[in-house]
Amino acid sequence: MHADATIDEPAVATIDPAMEMTGIGKRFPGVLALENVGLTLEPGKVHALMGENGAGKSTLIKILAGVYQKDAGAIRIGGVETDLRSPRDALRQGIKVVFQEIALISEFTVAENIFIEEYPVNGVGSISWKTIRRDAAALFERIGFNVDPAAKVGDLPVSQQQMVEIARALAHEARIVVMDEPTSSLTPNEVALLFGVIRRLASLGIAVVYVSHKLDEIFEIADTVTVLRDGRRISTKPVGEHTHDSLIQDMIGRRIENLFPRSRGVARDDVVVKVEGLSTDSKLKDVSFEARAGEVLGFFGLMGAGRTELAKAIVGYDPIKTGRITIAGQPLSPHNTRTGVSLGIGLLSEDRKTEGLMLELPVLQNASLASLEQFARAGFVDEKREKSAVQAFVDRFRIKTPGLGQQIKNLSGGNQQKVLLARWLMRGLKVIVVDEPTRGIDVGAKSEIFALIDQLAAQGLAVIMMTSEMPELLGLSDRIAVMAEGRITATMSRDDATQEKILNAAIA
Amino acid sequence: MSEITQPAKSGPVAGRLANNSQIVLLALLVVLCIGISLSAAQFYSVENVIAILRQCSLVLIVGAGMTMLLIAGEVDLSVGASLAFSGCVAMDVTNKTGSVFLGALAGILFGGLVGLFNGLVVTRLKVNSLIATIATMMILQGGVFLYTREAVQNKHQQPAFTDISTGYLGPIPLPVIIAAAVFACAYVALRYTTLGRYIYAVGANAKAARLSGRRPEQLKLLVFVVTGLLAGLTGLILASLMNTGQPTAGRGFELTVIAAVILGGTSLLGGRGTLLGTLLGVLILKVIDNGIIILRWDQNLQMIVPGVVIVLATYLDLVRRRADAR
Repeated sequence: MHADATIDEPAVATIDPAMEMTGIGKRFPGVLALENVGLTLEPGKVHALMGENGAGKSTLIKILAGVYQKDAGAIRIGGVETDLRSPRDALRQGIKVVFQEIALISEFTVAENIFIEEYPVNGVGSISWKTIRRDAAALFERIGFNVDPAAKVGDLPVSQQQMVEIARALAHEARIVVMDEPTSSLTPNEVALLFGVIRRLASLGIAVVYVSHKLDEIFEIADTVTVLRDGRRISTKPVGEHTHDSLIQDMIGRRIENLFPRSRGVARDDVVVKVEGLSTDSKLKDVSFEARAGEVLGFFGLMGAGRTELAKAIVGYDPIKTGRITIAGQPLSPHNTRTGVSLGIGLLSEDRKTEGLMLELPVLQNASLASLEQFARAGFVDEKREKSAVQAFVDRFRIKTPGLGQQIKNLSGGNQQKVLLARWLMRGLKVIVVDEPTRGIDVGAKSEIFALIDQLAAQGLAVIMMTSEMPELLGLSDRIAVMAEGRITATMSRDDATQEKILNAAIA
Repeated sequence: MSEITQPAKSGPVAGRLANNSQIVLLALLVVLCIGISLSAAQFYSVENVIAILRQCSLVLIVGAGMTMLLIAGEVDLSVGASLAFSGCVAMDVTNKTGSVFLGALAGILFGGLVGLFNGLVVTRLKVNSLIATIATMMILQGGVFLYTREAVQNKHQQPAFTDISTGYLGPIPLPVIIAAAVFACAYVALRYTTLGRYIYAVGANAKAARLSGRRPEQLKLLVFVVTGLLAGLTGLILASLMNTGQPTAGRGFELTVIAAVILGGTSLLGGRGTLLGTLLGVLILKVIDNGIIILRWDQNLQMIVPGVVIVLATYLDLVRRRADAR
């Protein structure tokens, strides 16, 4: 944590800013993406940039990176007014941007990728591969990465590719380093490593811009926070003046009274899901648990702990090796989603695009997929009844869509997720398994999803929630099960749970 | 990204037009017909119209199956080889049994078996359908010559056999009636039944369909079998038309069918397409064919013009959808 006292003092007076953006405006056809936005970066400080999707963060960063040209305003670097006309221009000014999408050449080695912007040449003008490899190794040494410079990038896991992407930004001298959601595919260990790197950069006097959705990260690493909303700057404050609630309020423009609403009473006694001694070839080892009607059972685990594998096994999607799964007293035939669905268990997958949405098809078809039989007589779909049923859910869940015929790919992530929830609720389920239910969803929409999950439990469903987000786990669950390496290592009630206990069990 | 990227600002009429890629095809068809009839008055003669429809019927029968198959996210390149083999089987069995009914049944079932084989290879062995059905095509093209060394001649001389292709119901040739019936059934199945919905769902996202309790493999298998049966039926009609079981018939037929289906706006990626589009696609290709013949243009244009039309139509569809998504 940044425990130093300097953040409480008006630092602007004492240090010259590394870069100053004032009155930045940017217009796209039909949209004013940025309006009169200012951003001041100080050397040696970490400046967090926050905002919902569409707030203008990416546009601002792209202007900083020279990808977009500003329409209004001024940029001063080291006190000199500059125009960043191209990415090359920005690089020359010492601005390095690590974008969210990995833009490495997978057939090249790590070292080749790192120096791709400017390969060192030897006396006769040919590329000096030896220098490249040596410099890459030295760079990794300096920032504490443990990656083989000679490895082919395509052979590395995504998280390591992300590290290479970051290392590339640091290969040449940098004055300003911008990181756009760098931790989205990193494990906790790698996040810790990354934060170490960021602190080292700051100590070298580099100004760091850190873009993230994750509040906890902001409080850990940032000195100052700027919040954007609808293309305007809402606030710039030292992070110490913010609380979780005040940050969220700035981001979404209204107060969320309670991010985790709770309308349900105590769970009922009837066990709806009973899993005994479940093992799979892929991951799970001897997993047993019960879930009752009306409760939210939260499963926590680090990456690779086996949460998704468990979710897919208990709905009958993946094959199992040994064990028994019982839904409301009836045995579920493994590796058979058909019986799972007819017994009343459904999975809201963590991967909306590849396992949930039919992107090219309309909202209507997406919503009714699991319950179509209810609207059919002798195999013929009664579209009128189907439409009115789907419309009822669109209204109830406040799904924003111009109509039921709208292709679902045109909806926002939050609204897509609501349609997928509706898909399950349209056929009376007894159990719903939700795997990372708010991944890639804005804060505002998140609270709506939380409220829906609460309502489901209130209606008597057993909700099994897989999550890697601690606040979500603690805020929503009645009971918590912690997984590590395919086993359940601890179960506890909501009242007994603390972050520490949970993390200890997750690392065990 | 804003909440909803597509504003619903276009008016109802514009919206309906934009949502209807068939409008472009229909316009193209009308322009073609007018253009050809201006230079060749006999285009509209009853004989010529019936000839066009007869030409269309074979492509449409297989095209109905192929449309469903592409929507389900698979493809079958063996239909041409399969229909040649089916025709030989139909003629041979009729020769041997003296029964047109048994011969027809054998031909159709043979096609169904080929479809079943394709479906099993694709869904059980998980071989990509493009590769699997090219392999089947090769097996059939070679296999048919193990079955018969030369064309199977009509030795039974049953009039019912030739009637399948040359008979009429009122003024309309039987193959056209058969094609219309197949089309109607497929249209209703795809548009109004749960089965049709699931075919779209499986093509659009097989994993999501499975999570929702469907069995993508079984659905795909079913559509492969249906396509196979329709190829068998087409083989029977063709054998009747030529009055022989011709082992080399139907070469390249699969490409004509797929071209018509794609021209009709069905996506090779699955989940998107309509039978109405396929009907228009077939009509356009066959009107072009017919026009080239009655205008006495170079026969090679029968391949070149459709090729150009497919590129243009697909491009126009892309432009339209891009405008749609904005």
